[in-house]
Amino acid sequence: MLNRIHITGMGIISAIGNSVEETFQSLNACKTGIGKIHHLKTRHRDDFLVGEIPFSNVQLAEMAESQVFDRTTLLGLIAAQQALINARIGDMKEARTGFISSTTVAGMPHSELLYKDFFENRYQGNFIDSHFSGVSTNVIASHLGIEDHVTTISTACSSAANAIMLGARLIRNGILDRVLVGGVDALSLFTLNGFNTLLILDKEWCKPFDDQRKGLNLGEGAAYLMLESEKMVKSSSKKSLALLTGYSNTNDAFHQTASSPEGQGACLAMQKALKIASLEPSQIDYINAHGTGTPNNDSSEGIAMQTVFGSKVPAFSSTKAYTGHTLAAAASIEAVISILSLQHNTIFPCLNREHQMTDLTICPVDTLQNDVALQHVMSNSFGFGGNCSSLIFSKN
Amino acid sequence: MEAFINGATCISHHNTVDETFFFEGCSPFAPSPFLKVAPFEHKNYIPSAMSRRASHILKMGITAGMMTLERAGIKSPDAIVVGTGMGCFEDTDKFLRALVDNEEQLLTPTSFIQSTHNSVAGQIALLTKCQGHNFTYVHQNNSFESALLDALMLLKEGEAQQVLVGGIDELNAPLQELFERAGHIKAAEDLKELLWESTSKGSVAGEGAAFFNLSKKRNANSLAKIRGVKTIQKTNSGEELLEMALEFLSELAIKKSEIDLVLSGRSGDVEKDLKLKEFESRLNIPLAYFKPLCGEYFTSGAFALWLGTSIIKKQLVPGCIPSDQTKPNSLRNILIVNHHSDELYSLICVSAC
Repeated sequence: MLNRIHITGMGIISAIGNSVEETFQSLNACKTGIGKIHHLKTRHRDDFLVGEIPFSNVQLAEMAESQVFDRTTLLGLIAAQQALINARIGDMKEARTGFISSTTVAGMPHSELLYKDFFENRYQGNFIDSHFSGVSTNVIASHLGIEDHVTTISTACSSAANAIMLGARLIRNGILDRVLVGGVDALSLFTLNGFNTLLILDKEWCKPFDDQRKGLNLGEGAAYLMLESEKMVKSSSKKSLALLTGYSNTNDAFHQTASSPEGQGACLAMQKALKIASLEPSQIDYINAHGTGTPNNDSSEGIAMQTVFGSKVPAFSSTKAYTGHTLAAAASIEAVISILSLQHNTIFPCLNREHQMTDLTICPVDTLQNDVALQHVMSNSFGFGGNCSSLIFSKN
Repeated sequence: MEAFINGATCISHHNTVDETFFFEGCSPFAPSPFLKVAPFEHKNYIPSAMSRRASHILKMGITAGMMTLERAGIKSPDAIVVGTGMGCFEDTDKFLRALVDNEEQLLTPTSFIQSTHNSVAGQIALLTKCQGHNFTYVHQNNSFESALLDALMLLKEGEAQQVLVGGIDELNAPLQELFERAGHIKAAEDLKELLWESTSKGSVAGEGAAFFNLSKKRNANSLAKIRGVKTIQKTNSGEELLEMALEFLSELAIKKSEIDLVLSGRSGDVEKDLKLKEFESRLNIPLAYFKPLCGEYFTSGAFALWLGTSIIKKQLVPGCIPSDQTKPNSLRNILIVNHHSDELYSLICVSAC
């Protein structure tokens, strides 16, 4: 029997709110945070809709009480601080406390503004030392006073799921007693233009699981969960928000950016997560799908769910149409949303959906469902490089 | 958590891909402040269609990874875990430069796709059809060490029987300029000093890829045994670092007197190496310095592990690196101590098997 992994605190900032409470209010009102670009300085300002956080870097720095100028680090700091307060943790030395973060852009939102001037000798400063992925993690860890195992994962859009999974494994392997896990990504020209070259950005609001879906809306944000061992929770008589019961990471081994049509990697990830959780497929009450709104993902993921769950696919929806696709933060943002679903017995529906997908027999949840008995919720996240992750959250 | 190294490949500044070579006739003095890897043959491992588009880091990583599996006699591992401090910078630079030069127009996706940090791990999974655990760590100079810890946990959990783990970072013209102008690189005249006796600031930058196939089971190919790894997020002094190292060894049930050699990651920066020097002087164990061979880079710890493994296997310390200290009596247990710019430290212990 594996040790139980408790979630004792959560922190989140995204386009739909700067706290767990605000996030719940937006979701419960079926209110999207996706709109026109205001802060990112791009020529595509009027071309795409994004899930942008409505604060400038200066405002974020004030909120984070930090001198840092890097948007990625600021968003991470804000969410991480919330999670610690929520978990009522102040003294990092009273137990072995780790920090596992994830990011894909790291210092890019800052570096990309200076790159041209640097190489054309108009800028003489140093941005490379704050560019690489580990830096934001280290700044946050140092700000919070976390000195045990700290690391950073980057596996594209599944990154935060893998950070959450690693945290649980570090506790189960006796390396840590508790660990703050999650991910962060700020909007950047690099990713906006990158996804644009792949022709998978929808110019309108994204429509996950709609037959006429055209692509995703990018978003930005951060979310962290405090994971604690059973022993820690028992000894402090702390409230456990939920349990992390299942997790798995697999590889589709099909294509660098596309998912296999039958979603092989996704199937394996869901099946292995169920096995770790010792659950039957029929025990999953709701799936917070990866559901990006790209033609490829939603078809592949839908088929994979039909394969794993057969004729009894649980209620499912994607919440990407609220927050946008926040890349390395997506899985931790959706972990918070999955736990909110468990806590409130509520399924937050897909938005903007009109047409049933012709290649699927299943249909997602389209209207807010209150008072649904939810015991076990699965959350999927897939990324470039064939990376597939599934997490399962359960009521304590 | 222990594991046998049943195959290893190292691409570095020297011809370390050749298992019969062991730094014969090599000098500890760097010919330039940038140590690029020696030419290596990749055509047996990288499909020609891919080779045209593949960046330097992809070629190094895929070659080192695939060659390691071949040496271990494994077609497809159960898991792939990679550490890279800087990721795929050549492609990042290519896409970013096009983006800023063309003001966000006329961009093509190839370099964006390949700039993703987990490209190497993803490509090896594709080539080996490995559908298992696939993680990429990007935590500065603890990227490889984090990957190694993950690999050891996977074996302990029974999640995998064969794990491919590697560390990889690339150097290129834009990075060289970025590092140089940030003040991280030694001036040419300072290269006349031995790196470990350096009185100047800055370091000699390097690059490389080192991969290992790890298993719980020993076999005829086994090179050495990894005893454990520890990442250190913060240390205040050489004395504290020593306490951490002694605690690490005691957790592994190894006595300090059993350590035959310490491979030290002195970078050659007279200021940044201070804690490490204090640590070394209190330790009183024969020392060798690995960065004259590979240069300073975030995943130099992977090179150090390959070097430690080779020293144990060959029972020989390369003539060009030991300082004028006592020669070790035997070469059974090696402790690797590393850092980068005095930020983040790490410990790895590797033993004969």
